Amino acid sequence: MKIYKLLLPLVVLFLPGLSLAAEMGSALKADVIRAEPYSDAKRTGNFARGDKLEILSKKGSWLKVKTAKDSGWVRLLSVKRGTSKGGNEAAGVLAVASGRAGTGQVVATTGVRGLNEEELKGAKYNAAEVKKLESYTQTSKQGGQFAKSGGLKAVKFAYLPESQKEGEK
Amino acid sequence: MRVIYFILVSMLAIVIPQAQALDIGDALKDAIQSTTAGETITGSKKASNSNAVKGEKKPAFNIQSPSKQEEIQLGREITGNLLGAAPLVNDVALQNYVNKVGRWVANQSERADLPWHFGVIESEDINAFAAPGGYVIITKGLYRKLDNEAQLAGVLAHEIAHVVKNHHLKIMQQSQLLDLGADLLGKQLAKDNQVIQKVIGSGAEVCARSLDKSAEFEADRMGVALTARAGYEPYGLPEVLQTIGQTGKDEGSVALLFKTHPHPDDRLVKLDDAIGNRLDKISGGKTLTERFYRLKN
Repeated sequence: MKIYKLLLPLVVLFLPGLSLAAEMGSALKADVIRAEPYSDAKRTGNFARGDKLEILSKKGSWLKVKTAKDSGWVRLLSVKRGTSKGGNEAAGVLAVASGRAGTGQVVATTGVRGLNEEELKGAKYNAAEVKKLESYTQTSKQGGQFAKSGGLKAVKFAYLPESQKEGEK
Repeated sequence: MRVIYFILVSMLAIVIPQAQALDIGDALKDAIQSTTAGETITGSKKASNSNAVKGEKKPAFNIQSPSKQEEIQLGREITGNLLGAAPLVNDVALQNYVNKVGRWVANQSERADLPWHFGVIESEDINAFAAPGGYVIITKGLYRKLDNEAQLAGVLAHEIAHVVKNHHLKIMQQSQLLDLGADLLGKQLAKDNQVIQKVIGSGAEVCARSLDKSAEFEADRMGVALTARAGYEPYGLPEVLQTIGQTGKDEGSVALLFKTHPHPDDRLVKLDDAIGNRLDKISGGKTLTERFYRLKN
């Protein structure tokens, strides 16, 4: 694990420009690896909770992954992206490697105010900002127009029950 | 249970003079409903309603069963305090964009009637807040973590779900029942503002309070459903949770979020349980990456 953390940045540095440079992940739960990104596709392998995975690509709700012995498609929610348990540079480097850095995702955390409990507790009502906030308000109709312009269509979909298992009871 | 309770209260109401009947009714409700945790709120709601009707003057602000206007008033106050801690990002295009996405998602909820307000605040913390009446605030730090419109929709949908389910209102009501504030309400001595201040507490501390874990999981599940209903790629919210999950626990930017919410990994596992293959039938959900508004700095 430690060696990983040390080596990974090096590997990434030596592979500039490779857009598919590996993003690492770990299994949040045991799951099946499939040949195609469909739940009825052929099984090509499996992994256990905590197994390290290499994330190769993403398609809808599926990730193409590679484990030590298998590769194939797995449900996105079975995988935790990134290797780090605690904060470290590796996560940042991984973000660069996966092309996320270009999207303004690198966060500067120095010298900016936080929102801790004390600050929230001591906060005083700001009428001008409330007025400003309310000036941005959109009507239901405007929301609908905005959706339409993006090609969004409302879909019928029931709220999810607490867990699938309970739903089946 | 309900029937017995109803009969008891009705009997008492007949036998005892009106004013007292209500008080005893309350006591009874407390006694009966303390056995069914979580039901207390419903009970008090009825009691407060009767109080309001009974009152001769304009009823005081009624936290236990607020009208829509009172809900909005409460949320406005909390949000105003939050904005006192961190102002809005000075970017009209950003704020309009977030309001359009949020409004469309909120249209898919049971509270499409509310005048929803969305805002991005100047804070590099990673967090989002909801207040009664349809106020939703996300930090610039969280916005930075987003990659596309579906992810923004997912985050806003989680907060919208809190409003729809009155999660924050409920914790305020609960503490109100325990505090002396209940006394204040009962006697109808308070003016609206006094009551609101009592309910909210100091500044925007409400925003630093944790909800029940189950409320967070529920908002996640509803958030995914609302995102799907709005025609977006429904995995927007889980993707954001995955990104946030990569942030170290010891990093200041997530300190408050991690303190007040279950860890993103737990939330993902719970979501996965709930989703199963339910989203498999949903196709054509959009991410709208091209339209996603990028921050200028």
